Amino acid sequence: MTDFADTFPPRGTRSNAEPADPQPQGIYPPTEEMLNEPVDPAIARAQENRLRAVWQQPQGWRYWSAVNNSEVGAWYSLTAFAFMLAAGVLALLMRVQLAVPDNDFISADRFNQFFTMHGSAMMFLFAVPMFEAISILLLPAFLGARDMPFPRLSAYGYWSFLIGGIFVLGSVLFDVAPNSGWFMYPPLATEAEGPGSDIWLLGLSFIEVASIAAAVELIVGVIKCRPPGMRINLMPLYAWYVLVVGGMILFAFPPLIAGDFLFEMQRSFDWPFFDPERGGDPMLWQHLFWIFGHPEVYIIFLPSIAIAAMVVPTAARRPITGYSWIVLSAVGTGFLSFGLWVHHMFTTGLPSLSLGFFSAASEAVVIPTGVQLFAFVATLMVGRVKMILPMLWIAGALAIFTAGGLTGIMVAVAPFDWQVHDTYFIVAHLHYTLFGGMIFPIIGGVYYFYPFITKKKMSDRLGRWAFWLMFTGFNLCFLPMHVTGLQGMPRRVFTYPEELGWNALNMVSTIGAFVTAAGVLVFAWDLLRPKSRQPLTERNPWGGGTLEWAHDVPDPGWGARSVPYITSRYPLWDEPELVGRMDAGRFYIPDAPEGKRETIVTSAVDAVPQHVARVTGPAWCTIVAAVFTGGAFIFPTFHWYPPAIVCGVLAIATVLYWLWTSTAQIPEAPMKDAGLGLRLPTYVSGAKAPGWWAVFITMLGDSTAFASLVFGVFFYWTARPDFPPEGADHANLALAALAAALIAASWGATRIARSQNRRGNVARTRILLAAAPVLALASATSLVGAVWLPDMDPVSHVYPAMMWALVVWFCAHTLLGVIMQGYCLAGSVFGKLTPRYDADLWNTALFWHFKLVMGLVGIAVIALLPRML
Amino acid sequence: MLGHRHSSLWHMILAPTVWAVHFCVVYGWTAVQCARAGGPDAARTGVLIATAVALMAIVVLGWKAWRQWDYLDDFDYVHDQPTTEHRREFLGHAGWLLAIVSAIGVGFNALPAVFIRSCL
Repeated sequence: MTDFADTFPPRGTRSNAEPADPQPQGIYPPTEEMLNEPVDPAIARAQENRLRAVWQQPQGWRYWSAVNNSEVGAWYSLTAFAFMLAAGVLALLMRVQLAVPDNDFISADRFNQFFTMHGSAMMFLFAVPMFEAISILLLPAFLGARDMPFPRLSAYGYWSFLIGGIFVLGSVLFDVAPNSGWFMYPPLATEAEGPGSDIWLLGLSFIEVASIAAAVELIVGVIKCRPPGMRINLMPLYAWYVLVVGGMILFAFPPLIAGDFLFEMQRSFDWPFFDPERGGDPMLWQHLFWIFGHPEVYIIFLPSIAIAAMVVPTAARRPITGYSWIVLSAVGTGFLSFGLWVHHMFTTGLPSLSLGFFSAASEAVVIPTGVQLFAFVATLMVGRVKMILPMLWIAGALAIFTAGGLTGIMVAVAPFDWQVHDTYFIVAHLHYTLFGGMIFPIIGGVYYFYPFITKKKMSDRLGRWAFWLMFTGFNLCFLPMHVTGLQGMPRRVFTYPEELGWNALNMVSTIGAFVTAAGVLVFAWDLLRPKSRQPLTERNPWGGGTLEWAHDVPDPGWGARSVPYITSRYPLWDEPELVGRMDAGRFYIPDAPEGKRETIVTSAVDAVPQHVARVTGPAWCTIVAAVFTGGAFIFPTFHWYPPAIVCGVLAIATVLYWLWTSTAQIPEAPMKDAGLGLRLPTYVSGAKAPGWWAVFITMLGDSTAFASLVFGVFFYWTARPDFPPEGADHANLALAALAAALIAASWGATRIARSQNRRGNVARTRILLAAAPVLALASATSLVGAVWLPDMDPVSHVYPAMMWALVVWFCAHTLLGVIMQGYCLAGSVFGKLTPRYDADLWNTALFWHFKLVMGLVGIAVIALLPRML
Repeated sequence: MLGHRHSSLWHMILAPTVWAVHFCVVYGWTAVQCARAGGPDAARTGVLIATAVALMAIVVLGWKAWRQWDYLDDFDYVHDQPTTEHRREFLGHAGWLLAIVSAIGVGFNALPAVFIRSCL
């Protein structure tokens, strides 16, 4: 994330011996005269027509093959909204059941399914996907970019989300939904009958993978796809939040995926990770779940407050006060929120010293969280506030969130938490934080950005109705719950006896829930009502200062007519000529002479142009890949393994087809004219390429999942006296050492192949790339032998099960690495990968760096560590 | 790898990274001492040593960030110009603020070891 443009000379590195990539040539930054020079209208019109043709959306039934961020983002957010309405209906049904004591409106089991699905759907099918959806929709516009860096990846993520979401949510209609609560504690969830727990684990794992894909894309978008000149200190605050939240997803979701993996191994194959009778421990799940679960709250909250950071300056009609402070706030919260997870586990009997650490961190996180709210208030105080409707929602959000934050400080104190744990006080607290921290800012954001998204306006009057209905309804519903909880009503009970005195409070809550629902319906109607007779909006209806308001009305699909050169945080306020120049095609890549979709890639810190990247266009392979990936996750729910394996293989094949036909394509010329006297490379490899960053970021997340498994080993060792059990068989040392040597050799072959290829030794490259997979497969075989030979039975005890889990992890990654090596070999043979065009090989080598470290650490944990414990 | 601190996001987040490492060390050390060896006194001593080391590291990082921010030279705290100087000062300013929050976080996390004398 560093660059050395314009201040530091390029570093000399070892790879100097290898031929270097072509460098950008020409003039940068552009001079004022160049920007003032008018564009010939005839040329501009011809360019415009070519761009329009390239970015045109597919028509008719082919519309669904679109991958453009404006389409995928809109589908994504509407789908997440639909899931939210469904989860809201479950909430209303629960409130009906709880309205009066001793009610029999729904049965206890159905009630369990409802609260489990309500929580799971709101978290996994609404809150997190909504962040991704809105970011996919808006981020390129904030950055003046044409599209996201990997449009087909967004589309794949969306279709996966749709399939997984329908599968998980649909289970409630067949009375087989998971019913153990949204955090699925074992042993209740591991022992639960029926496929409910499997639906939760596999369906949501599938969606988590899609979430990580979106996070990778958003991080790369922020780091590499900013417009030229938009240095890191000029970036819109939304982009800062996206960067932080993307990073948090990378470190928060993988522990849950690792936990899901262990959990599903226990459900399907009886490996006793959470079974105390065979050395397991249900607490490991709680740790892994909440290492995910608590940062997740902030993953939901930060992007929503980021919307406030965009609305507040517009409402105050001045730049944000304390930009650096808000960055501090976002980054600081991102870090500290990882130190809170045990505050969900205060009642599990951990040493009070440990509880103290988490209690202290829970109090400390208030500081960065609060800083941004004060910065917003300060901006409003020094500005000339115009109370636009989105600002009303943001104001409501701040009020509600502050109330939720205050109860949060209360429950962060362990002794207080012991009193209210698992009562309605917690229900009230978490809904205050989520409504204030997510629902209200998001709806405010929808009102604010709707003219940008659809080029029409929503109704001001309906918006005010929706606000006041939701605001009063929400408080009516959840404020009394604080009291209900303090009076002792536990959460998740399906009914209660009359004489406990909770009747009136519950009735008020139910009424409040329906008032809130009325508000949501008004909003939904306003959002979806046909607006074809309504006139198009003006271009910048709120008078905002950031780049998204330079959009074209109506939408031509190209994102930005030309990618601007940026010199300010609020370019539309500070540079009145900017929009005119963008429209005229005065800035970068105003044309598409090759008929390809393109966007500009810039350096990470100073946004110096580096590369014109070709981005992918409409395709069906993303849908096909999502369907097969869905099959690979959904069939195991019913223990139908053969079709699952077939689907998995087909999914991999589809993805390979997709990569082969559309990524890292050899361009027709190595450089192209990017406009304003600048010539940029059309193909880069290594750290300048968005694809390399995507691999790097994905592997960071992957390493986190691996670290979670290693954490599991240490956890069992500290938590259990019999880990490893007395006299247990350990993995075969010689075979494990052989596996380590072979995997290192495979890594070395891949790495040397990269340099040899660059130097033009194609034959040697192919030999190395042919040898590397053989070495890798031999390594995996050897490691399987190392745990197979001593007869370590994974069903017998958690120790062999944990070792086997690490071996499974190792083998799965080896297979992936082998596929990548084979892909590069095929590329070299069939002319897709040449000494000059070698991005795939760089990415494969990068994967193998991570693979090597994980492999060696894994082997050490399997073969050496248990002998020392 | 990290680049020059004037143009590096990695340097900006070093102080909170120290916080994170301190947090993991303190939590892991306490878990091991309370479960396997040592007992509360060893746990508390270790926590306090780790805290001293972490605070020293954060002070050094904070001082470097303060120098990079260079506030006293022009009393600029907005950093909204498209120049190398403003980018450097911005990264220094944000890094300095993060160092303060990290120091508070580390201090908070050490408090339980000051007040709680048992592993129960």
